[in-house]
Amino acid sequence: MAAALGAGASYADARVVVRRSQVVGTRNGRVERLDDQETEGIGVRVLVGGAWGFACDRRLDNEGAEAAARKAAAFAKAAPGGHSRELAALEPARGEFNTPFERDPLSVSVAEKVDLCLRAEEALAREDVKVTSASVRAQREHKVFVSSDGATAEHQLVECGGGIDAMAARDGIAQIRSYPSAHGGSSSQAGWEYVESLGLEREAPRVGEQAAQLLRAEPCPSVVTTVVIDDEQMALQVHESVGHPTELDRVYGTEAAYAGTSFVKPGDLGSLRYGSEHMNITADSTTPGGLGTFGFDDEGVPAGREPIVREGILSGFLTSRETAARIGSGSGGSMRADSWSRMPLVRMTNLHLEPGEGSLDELIAGVDDGVFLQTNKSWSIDDKRLNFQFGTQIAWEIKDGKLGRMLRDATYTGQTPVFWGSLDAVGGRDQWQLHGLTNCGKGQPGQHAHVSHGASPARFRNVQVGFKP
Amino acid sequence: MSALELAGKALQAAEGDEALALVQSERSGMARFAGSEVHQPTLIENETVELQVVREGRLGIASGNRTDDDGLRALAARAVEAAENAPPDPDFAGLAPPAEPARVEGYDSDAAALGAEDQARLAATAIDASKLDLYGFVTSGVTGIAIASTTGLAVEQTMTDVAALALAAVDGASGYAERTGWRLEDVDPAAAAVEANEKAALTRGAVELEPGSYPAVLEAPAFAELLAYFSYDAFGALGLIEERSYAFDKLGQPVFDERFSLADDALDPRGLPKAFDFEGVPRQRVELVQEGVLRGVLWDRTSAKRAGGGQQTTGHAPPSSLRHWGPLPIALSVAGGEADSPEQLAELIGDGIYVTRLHYLSIVDPREGIVTGMTRDGTFRIRGGKIAEPLVNLRFTVSVPQLLAELPGLTREPVLINQNAYYDERYPTGLLSPAVATARFDVTGVGSGPGT
Repeated sequence: MAAALGAGASYADARVVVRRSQVVGTRNGRVERLDDQETEGIGVRVLVGGAWGFACDRRLDNEGAEAAARKAAAFAKAAPGGHSRELAALEPARGEFNTPFERDPLSVSVAEKVDLCLRAEEALAREDVKVTSASVRAQREHKVFVSSDGATAEHQLVECGGGIDAMAARDGIAQIRSYPSAHGGSSSQAGWEYVESLGLEREAPRVGEQAAQLLRAEPCPSVVTTVVIDDEQMALQVHESVGHPTELDRVYGTEAAYAGTSFVKPGDLGSLRYGSEHMNITADSTTPGGLGTFGFDDEGVPAGREPIVREGILSGFLTSRETAARIGSGSGGSMRADSWSRMPLVRMTNLHLEPGEGSLDELIAGVDDGVFLQTNKSWSIDDKRLNFQFGTQIAWEIKDGKLGRMLRDATYTGQTPVFWGSLDAVGGRDQWQLHGLTNCGKGQPGQHAHVSHGASPARFRNVQVGFKP
Repeated sequence: MSALELAGKALQAAEGDEALALVQSERSGMARFAGSEVHQPTLIENETVELQVVREGRLGIASGNRTDDDGLRALAARAVEAAENAPPDPDFAGLAPPAEPARVEGYDSDAAALGAEDQARLAATAIDASKLDLYGFVTSGVTGIAIASTTGLAVEQTMTDVAALALAAVDGASGYAERTGWRLEDVDPAAAAVEANEKAALTRGAVELEPGSYPAVLEAPAFAELLAYFSYDAFGALGLIEERSYAFDKLGQPVFDERFSLADDALDPRGLPKAFDFEGVPRQRVELVQEGVLRGVLWDRTSAKRAGGGQQTTGHAPPSSLRHWGPLPIALSVAGGEADSPEQLAELIGDGIYVTRLHYLSIVDPREGIVTGMTRDGTFRIRGGKIAEPLVNLRFTVSVPQLLAELPGLTREPVLINQNAYYDERYPTGLLSPAVATARFDVTGVGSGPGT
């Protein structure tokens, strides 16, 4: 801090991060990945004359810290533009946060992890299943944050996760099934007990069987109909069509060149009808097990819980201290960086679709003619987060309130507020599941955020499903 | 200490085991701007060492960025622990033998000399040249990669890259342009800004378009991104072996327009040259498509051994963290055609749509090569062979093989399109692509209008 202030900074903060992460992956009965990565360093962010600067150094000593501070200040001074920035007022953070866990996932031997993956894979095997794969991951991060405001926050974060996939192919058709989520499984801020609770080996026979069955399934027809969407796909729906558009940096355009902006405008707060009265979305960085759970964000703002959409009306944004000051509401709390070598950005923490009432069977029972969609396969949404198209790995037709034949190659598409406006039921709390994903990309240089979403299955009317060229 | 010397030191820490050490270094700066001011300037300096230890056919991999003696000893201990716990891998092809990669270009002392003030100054030239609010970045970096192994392998390369991305945008209008190269002199941020402004000026008053199948002109950034997504699955050996890629059972067949030829060529000085892959194997030019005939896919040592039949690596091993993807294209190169400009391609198709850039692509079906995404920052109707009214952003869901089946024309000179989003360790890659005209581009919906 002294070097930054000495170089002209009116505000500065620094994060020291030491992280170890491990991935064990098997594929068709052999070890495919066995990575064990460590990285450490310090990142210093400064505000000089209203302009930000950021620099980092992997040396964890005075020399490294001072060098990063001086370089960050020099970059800020050189930055073109008419700079003027204010930060929302904040009581200096002082505290620590440690992930509660029973079994340190990095203390679990590689041999045990390999064995778990291979056993799960073996249970996936079926005729026509060409690829079986399983993976588990573990991570431990020690982070210390200080700011020129006098903040000091320390975190010891532990997370782990896993997943399985079966890919079947025959006669020019290839189909995939995954559990508990697509794209690498699901993770939680927890100990190894989380991976054990997933029951990868237990679920594998169903996953393998469904992959094989999909080869014989009919393609999803192209039709406007009622859809019931499972909790895993709902997690992604929340992420893409609510989480990103309510990041206030996107709303103000600072991600325009890459991730895009938002159809939501600052003046929409409190008035925009985002969806039906069944739609309640909450940002909650205190959720037990959430990948976006912490004591303080990367600006030292304490964790909290805030409604983003309440009964269908936009009621909050994901903010930084800078964007909160700009809109004149809130105090930040969503600033996160993916490592010591990246500048914090406004990111999702844990963003949930609040539960409604009833079971999945009851949601389906309320459909005369429709489609039940399960597990993400493809995803795309426009730069303002308005037009989206998602595909799911598997679907079933719904006839007279009951599941019918299996369908493959299902997609659905819509315009965000129209789609959410067609929400007519959300499953109850006992259907609500937390899904943790580790591949949310944003920023330049790019950053991966680890975020969680809780959701129950939900039902939407008049949705276009099943396009194929 | 050079990167290769550090790799050698890491090998010593392995204390007699069969081992490979890979060192990657980065010194980069990015002046990222929005609303015509630099808002996220980032300087990065890092060096990582990855150590692969082999014990009786068991492979353990660990990496870290502590490069002092204690750090390397701890790294070796983690790699050894991983190897001891791993089962033997029957597909492990062993560590690569010594090799003499081709000498490639890709280092420019002027680019290497750029510092934070220079990156900020270059960003200022783009901002000053823009009439509209400007969004994007100017970045430059020096990256190093060195690999040494107990087999006697010792290879090293230092690369530079410079890129400028310009999005000129206001409410209701936006235009895009980019410049990428390994030489400083090849990247003019102000020119990119001017081009983006000119494009943006044409996008006001955008209208919707009825979904359907249209002939289209795809500018180089649009075609490059679509081709890259298709190629990850279609042209890697792993997808072929596992029967999940488009190329499965089609090698040797004429599946695309005969005007279409595609190679992966990391040795081409027009791109961002690379001498060797992440196994230390010299990179080769691979003909993937010749005059519409699907000729080959990309291999590394592991996939080649698994395929058997004398298959050899083509020098396309990915980093160990991406091993589950298998061999990947990193320097795709599309042969140019005969058109002088994208406007001439518009004349060829007469009536259709014109696409500058794509957004948020996703693979819907890898076996059939179906990709979805959005257009953005310069989408227009083509009428009477001329660029006509602007269109809102369009949702497309295309079969890439169908799109490539009839290409009425391609521009003569491919341009280098940046393929690096700068996640994780910097490893600059680009794709040489012309603009193309296609007879079929499937529009499946409409989205938001251009602009912020």
